[in-house]
Amino acid sequence: MTAITVSSAISSGRSQLVNTRQRSLIMARLRVLWVLAAFAVLAVAALLRIAYLGVVEDAPRGMSMYQLLLPPRGEIADRNGVPLARAFPAYSLWYNPAALDDGGAPLVKSPQQVARELVRIFPDMDVHDLTRRLQSGRAGYLRRRVLPEDANRIQEIGELALEIPQETERFYPQGSMASHVLGYVAADGHGRVGMEAVLDKDLLDPARRATPAVLSLDLRVQGALEEELKKGMLATEAVGAAGIVLDVDTGEVLALASLPAFDPNRIDAAGQRNMFNRVTNQVYELGSTFKPLTVAAAIDAGVVTDLSRRYQANRPLEIGGFQIRDSHTIGASLNVPEALIHSSNIVTAQIADALGGKALKRTMSDLGMDQRPFIELPARGFPIWASGDWPRLRTMTVSYGHGIAVTPLHLASAYAAMVNGGIWRPATLRKVEPGKAAKGRRVFKASTSARMNQLLRMIAVYGTGRNADAPGFRVGGKTGSAEKPGAGGYRRSTLVSTFAAAFPMDRPRYVVIAMLDEPKGTAASSYQRTAAWNAAPIVGKVVPRIGPLLGIRPDDTRDIDLSDLKPLVHGGVE
Amino acid sequence: MMSPRGSLRSAGWIAVLAACATLFVVLTFRVNAVKSEVRLAERRIVALQQEKMLLETEFETRASQQNLSNWNEVEFGYRAPRAAQYLENERQLASLGTPRAVGAPAPIRVASAEVSDDAAQSFPRMVSPVTGQEFAGAGTIASDIRATAAHERASLSSQITRNAARIVLKAGMEAGE
Repeated sequence: MTAITVSSAISSGRSQLVNTRQRSLIMARLRVLWVLAAFAVLAVAALLRIAYLGVVEDAPRGMSMYQLLLPPRGEIADRNGVPLARAFPAYSLWYNPAALDDGGAPLVKSPQQVARELVRIFPDMDVHDLTRRLQSGRAGYLRRRVLPEDANRIQEIGELALEIPQETERFYPQGSMASHVLGYVAADGHGRVGMEAVLDKDLLDPARRATPAVLSLDLRVQGALEEELKKGMLATEAVGAAGIVLDVDTGEVLALASLPAFDPNRIDAAGQRNMFNRVTNQVYELGSTFKPLTVAAAIDAGVVTDLSRRYQANRPLEIGGFQIRDSHTIGASLNVPEALIHSSNIVTAQIADALGGKALKRTMSDLGMDQRPFIELPARGFPIWASGDWPRLRTMTVSYGHGIAVTPLHLASAYAAMVNGGIWRPATLRKVEPGKAAKGRRVFKASTSARMNQLLRMIAVYGTGRNADAPGFRVGGKTGSAEKPGAGGYRRSTLVSTFAAAFPMDRPRYVVIAMLDEPKGTAASSYQRTAAWNAAPIVGKVVPRIGPLLGIRPDDTRDIDLSDLKPLVHGGVE
Repeated sequence: MMSPRGSLRSAGWIAVLAACATLFVVLTFRVNAVKSEVRLAERRIVALQQEKMLLETEFETRASQQNLSNWNEVEFGYRAPRAAQYLENERQLASLGTPRAVGAPAPIRVASAEVSDDAAQSFPRMVSPVTGQEFAGAGTIASDIRATAAHERASLSSQITRNAARIVLKAGMEAGE
């Protein structure tokens, strides 16, 4: 009995134990399962996330490479592809007093010390001015267009308030060169003055701005022209100078310079004053440079058939109480080549008188002298042009370049027509593909043009243009020294000296015009003010520099044939 | 009830499907990896292009026409070439030389040309890409090359002497003009 009770008691106790064990086992398994499930959920979540990242397009794509590389404003290049203006990611130095954001002083060091360190990087900045700006606590640009190496040195100062944001700016690598052609970009992002204004739409058009806008300019020619003009201007203390190199067959402008220039990289008050373009916007009475045009018109009209015919040249012409005289008496009589060589007003006026006002006026208007010059630039001056029938006096004064005022560009286009076989073409600043030149209009016969080439060459060989006769380049051209009109008539001592030339005269390719505004008689010009001593030497120096660049080789063995005209000059004796 | 063979087959299908799915996922991952690599490369190209433009612009600025002419004035003094510095043609160039004086020793001319048999051997065999057989005309080309090489080797010396004679003759002719 007791044994049974005991055994039952034991068994009940054992079964209880077994139960407890089982329960705790289940509990443990359950817990393991929970942990496993949690891990599994985590793993699945991670896998799903990976799958999502892998399959679904991750991260917004942003801009395509093309868009990133597309400049915000198109590049402008010269005819050989050298960049003249480009969008340039430059650094600026911006002062942000709130950068530290701790309510204390904006700078860690003293403003004086920071200013001194900045001046060590940019020696042209002023310590006191900088200190004042740093102390003022106002945000603003301290400097723009900082070079990357200088930006690194600014970082090394270790001031958080000196920020160096990268900004896209319009940059002109050649500085002030060709500034009147290029113009500049104002703060509103639109171009001003030059081709920046003309091409504004193209340069901003996303479809077209990826390819540079190509101009007809040749950078090297422009550089040579500007340098020689500048030297001539400084040597003669002129107030300004202008020059142009024009392709006679296409009308392309290879160089166009108006001095003093401005720096499009840095527009200031002085730059604003110099933005006026003397080549396309200012009209001048260009004086004797018109004489060849008059003679060409007379030859073309059949008025001058015999170049050896002599005209009286020692008595001033009296027309309506006005006297036409020469600066000095050259001889009792002159023939046409001699009149051009010695630049005689009296003879040219007689030729114009024989030609008549109607014919001269038509030739001048065929040469575009009655309209604004043909070029893309927005600044184009309107000529002083007498409308209606020209009376005798007007005809005579226009024949030697007075009583008509045009821009130097007008003159260049007219000379191009005179030497290229007689076709007048509008000037252009866009590069012209071979064979795509404007058709133009015929102003002179080809025979007239050939004769004029001889006469122009004779002026440079025997006459006032000798200083322009660069050896081997067969330059031909005409000087012009016109008195500037002032209060109460013309001012004898204030001149506009011009030399209008073409080269090589045996097959003219380029017209070069150099003009000096109010040159003084200095030692450099042998104390002369006239074009033979100041403008002609400029052409004489420009031509040898640009000739080889433009594919014209100097050659002493070649020249235009002058043998039929030589006997007419100086009695045939050299 | 499914037969054991049937269940085996369906298990096989499932395995194939699973494998395909896995491969598809792997491929997608790979494509996206390549895509992001391309993006990185593009970003690098853009950065490099911009750096290039920066450097180019800096170079253009430092080498601007005004700077160059200033340097030329101070350092080099180069001038535009004169007419005498140009030559019209080879004849004009030859006219600058002086003819050999009478009794002067003949100029010693040294010539060398490397012609080896390797030239023929290194010529690649021309094999049709379709049949794998040698191109019909290839043998003749190779033999031609070998023959030319041999001929060149043989005639080189005679050629040199002939050329030398021609040059001397030409110089004499031009001197006589």
